[in-house]
Amino acid sequence: MAGIGFELRKILKRDNLLSLMQAYTYAAVISSGPWVLSIVGILIIGVLSYAIVVPNSMIVQFQVSITYVIATSLIFTGPFQLAFTRFTADRLFEKSDDVILTNFHAVTLSVTLVGGILGVLAVIFLFPDQSVMYRLLLLAAFVVMCNIWIATIFLSGMKQYREIVWMYFFGYALTVGAALMLRRYGLEGLMAGFVIGQALLLTGMTVLILRNYPAKQFISFEFFDLKLMYPSLLLIGFLYNLGVWFDKFIFWYNLDTSQPIIGPLRASVIYDLPVFLAYLSIIPGMAIFLLRMETDFVEFYDAFYRAVRSGGSLETIEECRNGMVETIRLGIFEIIKIQTIAALLLIVVGETVLGWLGISTLYLPLLYIDVIAAGLQVVLLGILNVFFYLDKRRIVLALCAGFVLLNAILTLMSIRLGPAFYGYGFALALLIIVLTGFVMLARKLAVLEYETFMLQ
Amino acid sequence: MSIDQPFERRATDCDVMLLLEGTFPYVSGGVSSWVNQIIRGFPQIRFGICFIGSRREDYGDPKYALPDNVVHLETHFMHERQAMPKVIAEVGDAAAYAQMDQFHQQLREHGRRAPDPGDISASLRALEPLLQDGEALDEASFLYSERSWDYTADQYRQRCTDPSFVDYFWTVRIMHTPVWTLARISNKLIPARAYHSISTGYAGFLGTLLKQKTGRPLILSEHGIYTKERKIDLFQSEWIQDNRGVFEKDASQLSYFRELWIRFFEALGRICYDASNEIVALYETNRLRQIQDGAQAARTRNIPNGIDLPRMAKLRALRPENPPAVLCLIGRVVPIKDVKTFIRAMRSVVNLMPDAQGWIAGPEDEDEAYAEECRSIAEGLDLQGKVKFLGFQKIDELLPKVGLIVLSSISEALPLVLLEGFAAGVPAVATDVGSCRQLLYGLDEEDRALGAAGTVVGIAEPQALAAAAVDLLRDPVRWRAAQAAGIARVERYYTQDLMFAQYRHLYEKSLQEADALTFSVSALAAGCPINKTGRA
Repeated sequence: MAGIGFELRKILKRDNLLSLMQAYTYAAVISSGPWVLSIVGILIIGVLSYAIVVPNSMIVQFQVSITYVIATSLIFTGPFQLAFTRFTADRLFEKSDDVILTNFHAVTLSVTLVGGILGVLAVIFLFPDQSVMYRLLLLAAFVVMCNIWIATIFLSGMKQYREIVWMYFFGYALTVGAALMLRRYGLEGLMAGFVIGQALLLTGMTVLILRNYPAKQFISFEFFDLKLMYPSLLLIGFLYNLGVWFDKFIFWYNLDTSQPIIGPLRASVIYDLPVFLAYLSIIPGMAIFLLRMETDFVEFYDAFYRAVRSGGSLETIEECRNGMVETIRLGIFEIIKIQTIAALLLIVVGETVLGWLGISTLYLPLLYIDVIAAGLQVVLLGILNVFFYLDKRRIVLALCAGFVLLNAILTLMSIRLGPAFYGYGFALALLIIVLTGFVMLARKLAVLEYETFMLQ
Repeated sequence: MSIDQPFERRATDCDVMLLLEGTFPYVSGGVSSWVNQIIRGFPQIRFGICFIGSRREDYGDPKYALPDNVVHLETHFMHERQAMPKVIAEVGDAAAYAQMDQFHQQLREHGRRAPDPGDISASLRALEPLLQDGEALDEASFLYSERSWDYTADQYRQRCTDPSFVDYFWTVRIMHTPVWTLARISNKLIPARAYHSISTGYAGFLGTLLKQKTGRPLILSEHGIYTKERKIDLFQSEWIQDNRGVFEKDASQLSYFRELWIRFFEALGRICYDASNEIVALYETNRLRQIQDGAQAARTRNIPNGIDLPRMAKLRALRPENPPAVLCLIGRVVPIKDVKTFIRAMRSVVNLMPDAQGWIAGPEDEDEAYAEECRSIAEGLDLQGKVKFLGFQKIDELLPKVGLIVLSSISEALPLVLLEGFAAGVPAVATDVGSCRQLLYGLDEEDRALGAAGTVVGIAEPQALAAAAVDLLRDPVRWRAAQAAGIARVERYYTQDLMFAQYRHLYEKSLQEADALTFSVSALAAGCPINKTGRA
């Protein structure tokens, strides 16, 4: 994400408090925009439809359906996300830009085909009691969403961050608008509104892509060439997304903690809402993470490899290494500080917010622990990002696999221990992985020059 | 024997293993001819040859036919891409690296003060087993271990004056990799009763390792001085980086990496001097240089190249009564021979002796531009008809017609033309390079008593050269005295027979030592006459 760092540095160079605020806002919007907009969008649709859609359980059915679509589409496209990001970066580095678009087409085609087939099978066999309309809309939402993730990856690979944020903003505005307009048709109306809005978002992104990146040829499949592919990235993308959602699935399909919502879809209102609320608290953390990583860290990172390649002295090389370590340390401290403030704020206003959303304050402790967990997830993201910069894919893979495993085991244990421990499984799993990540990062950075020179 | 005989030869053992770096049989030249002469001079010895080159493509077809008594020939190339050990991170053995550090310190100290004989060899003997694959200082450890990294980084911090770490790192790597290649060669080489290296450098280091391993004697013969020649190479090489900034640069100071290479070869030299049983120089100046570079005086000796005396002596009868007024420079027309100075001197000679002639006998195709320049200088000085470019000449036909051999070179070792001239009854005027002073004036008391076989002048001094030449040619008494001194000196010290006799003595001594060694190892083994192998 070098381009973004460049923009941020431009703003920071002006060097006053306002420009700093501006940089943080920009970073926040870019880093968590798509995320937050989708959560906020679904919540808004729900809140604004309370009086109109009868019965109210339809709103829950809608929200749960879309949550499943988001979760499954993220997990399903997970393998492509990182691998395609890397593919784009490698081709840009080689200056063979023209194959990126043709391969984007190849990836979207594969995702649409495979996702479509899986989706068709799912709606045929898993939703026999639902209307044909609902089933078609669910299928459409899944396929469109998968494509949106891939398009987002493409655009961020091409450094079109500002465009992504605007697209999402307008896309979700349209989604909310369409859903509200069609809400009187009940569940199918809301779903149709959502699909229309998302389809428009996808169309907008596709137009932007096709207009800005002309290619000689429509499609090519270098991405699937094993020589250019990193199998570990496929696995990492899949495992990371699986890990993030695993505890939720466990709560959804544990009979004590969930209710059937629609067809085979179950939800755990007590678990889900606090988690989604908690994710809203990561906005400042993400902003800092992005700012530190993309400006200071990348500066030292570039300087390090420049010094190595172009004959810098060992002192310079070590200074750059220390600079990297220092920015990582600073960035992570700042994330922890800001997330702590966010957590404290939520602890203060949490009760009011829960009351406002009509959730029992019994679940306040869960909200608190989820805020901490979400903060840890930002830290984990930061650590993984550093490992990606250092090209230590095997470590990232190990951390992600460990995350999935720990999240599963500890979440199951927390359910057995009772409601007072809900959320602790997810949080503890993240804590352990984050600490492990710290240890490995410290170890790797300590021997960075050795590994760079001796083990290449 | 023809050149298309199969060139690799394999035997299970040999008497004397020759360690040849970049010379016989793949490169032609003085040293190669000498090796050829030695091998053919000892037909009863079974020689093995271990040829060490840079890269295979740097050498064409063999330039010499292999004598029959070469029973074994193998070739190795230092700068060819070798298969690297698999990249596996390792920590490295602290004790072994401390030992290695001590060895380096020893080498550095040796550069500063007079050596304690044998201490380098003792340290190397302890280190050598650690270089084997799987041991604490194997190639993988050098390439991939953390200790090795720490050591390299430390040395850079302490010593490197060039800012670029990456260049330092790769210079150290490339420089040291042959150590392991040579250790591997030394493991696989067939057994020999004695080792004879014709230079220090890589071949000398291989000889050292072999001596350490087997205890068999090592003879070192140096024709030039390896480290000096390397220095010239390194000065000319452009691939060595110099990253000092404009203000850091001091023109009088070598680039650090050049200096590092030079010190590396100097260290290889010291290691080899310390291990060699016999250290042979061609002439006194080089022997003194060897001592200065760390060789123990007691082990050094001069064995000059020898000429075929009877063949040259026959030519004396063909000479005219009085010396002809012909000055002859015999050699390739190239800058190192400084032919231009000879031509300029001829102007003065002809001014004083109008009937004098200057001949230049040697091929002109090596540096045609230079040859052309020489011709135009001769024309410019109005010497047409006085200075003649004869091209390559048969020496037997040329020498009887010559009154004086002239050598105006700026660099020489032990020029055979002077010796051949003396043997054929021609005195010489030569510049003060290489062994010329020794050849013209004599080395020790006894040698000097034979008289001067001509005159030594400074380099690039055409006036002095002309004056010395005219003095000799105009004074028949002096000329005859110089002729007599030359003949006496060459017969006494510089014949092929003498050279063979001295090497025979060296070989016999070494082979006997080797056999005594074998004998003590396996007292039950049968006696080992010189022609048989003496393996335990």
